[in-house]
Amino acid sequence: MKVRVDPELCQGHTLCAMNAPALFALRDEDGHAYALQEDVPAELEGEAKEAARSCPEQAVVLY
Amino acid sequence: MSTEETQAADTARKKPVISLDRHSARYRVEFEELATEFHGKCPVAWNDTHGGYWFASGNKELFDIARRSDVLSNDNDVSGTKNGYVGISIPHQTTENRQRGGFLEMDPPEQRYYRQALNPYLSPAAVARWKPVIEELTRACIDEVIESGRVDFVDDLANIVPAVFTLAMLGLPLKAWDIYCEPVHASVYTSPDSPEYPAVRAKSNQMFMHLLGYIKEIKENPRPGLINELLTVEINGYRPDDFEVAGVVMLLIGGGFDTTTALTAHSLEWLSENPEERARLSRERETLLDSATEEFLRFYTPAVGDGRTISQDVEINGTRFKEGDRLWLSWAMANRDEKVFEDPHNVHLDRKGNRHASFGLGIHRCIGSNVARAVFKTMLTAVLDRMPDYVCTPGQAVHYDTTGVINGMKNLPATFTPGRRIGDGLNETIARMQEICDEQRLAEPVTVRATTAKL
Repeated sequence: MKVRVDPELCQGHTLCAMNAPALFALRDEDGHAYALQEDVPAELEGEAKEAARSCPEQAVVLY
Repeated sequence: MSTEETQAADTARKKPVISLDRHSARYRVEFEELATEFHGKCPVAWNDTHGGYWFASGNKELFDIARRSDVLSNDNDVSGTKNGYVGISIPHQTTENRQRGGFLEMDPPEQRYYRQALNPYLSPAAVARWKPVIEELTRACIDEVIESGRVDFVDDLANIVPAVFTLAMLGLPLKAWDIYCEPVHASVYTSPDSPEYPAVRAKSNQMFMHLLGYIKEIKENPRPGLINELLTVEINGYRPDDFEVAGVVMLLIGGGFDTTTALTAHSLEWLSENPEERARLSRERETLLDSATEEFLRFYTPAVGDGRTISQDVEINGTRFKEGDRLWLSWAMANRDEKVFEDPHNVHLDRKGNRHASFGLGIHRCIGSNVARAVFKTMLTAVLDRMPDYVCTPGQAVHYDTTGVINGMKNLPATFTPGRRIGDGLNETIARMQEICDEQRLAEPVTVRATTAKL
């Protein structure tokens, strides 16, 4: 599984980093999210799915 | 087309029709029934009250519309020199007291310049630096009442901490919090035809004059904070004048005060009514505090919705919107849509997949959302620690008469087993926090000062 945050859609709601802190970080200057790495370790796939499901803007892309 | 034909086409387009006055008691009292009914029958409807406007309540429908900044406008054209749009309030302000609500009543590019300038003061990293200050203000509020065994959670806690902290971020004197606090709250819940209204207006004017005075003062003697940023920033090629700066500050104050108060009061009331869940939240806060916060945000959506104007003809999910149509995005109802939220009318502290819209959706996402969460969590956990057995006095909670704009509370009295003070009272603490703000320049943006406050 791979993950990325669509920067066009992300508005800085921060729920991905709240649900999956090992996968996402928030930029200091505006709180918009980015994926720490593209590949999701098998043990974090559940967290990645929860992050995608709980994003209000549906900006977390799993592929 | 003749006028009659145009009207007939409009009538055919504006369907299904509902008739809901959001400022009526019915909207507040029958909120859950209305939400369920609309989600089933008319997730986007034409509401024939207040001059007529589209009312989006379905979660998917709202999601598909709210993020279309290409066809929506927030603009409040107060000077009447552009398109004549009337901003985000429905009903909109009357001409005598019409004032632009800062960048929430602007469109890009101006709106984007403002947000880029202010985000480094309000991002998660920026807010985290203030944690010791927020905790200390909360501690002092609780110390003021801890020995008495009695508290009004609104007056004694949830009104104060957000107000003092907002002034700190703005760069205003902290001790002036009461000049701002009362009129900001009272303006939300006092109806223009009530006998109290003139006094509220007078206090609001006093507050505005105080603010204009300090804007001038900060311009002459710059000090860090959001106001200083607003006075020095360039917005798409122009520098905002004092009046525009004051409008933005009023947006930040209006957004920062009453909403966090409303969320905190409602959550504390629910936890009093559900003591087992309260004990569980306190016990398991490491894993439960985040999800509980999001669930209270979803369930008690403090800012219940926002208005928009359609800026060009567009069809979305079968609804034909026309340029100039007004639209209400009901965050509160979208948060209760069972197609997205299982068992939507009940609080589940461990809810998963909680993609609520309580901070709005799209480019106007609440810029203070990180402040709201931090202040709420600090106040909530302090109450759980120091007043673990509090009981809200039955029949004494005072909710706003109408919840058309903010789902708030005026009073929430409670009793608890008295405890010991552990520090200074509120006034001494505010004076000490002022010194710390000034010495450590806490109100600088995170891009200038990254370190956490030291008390």
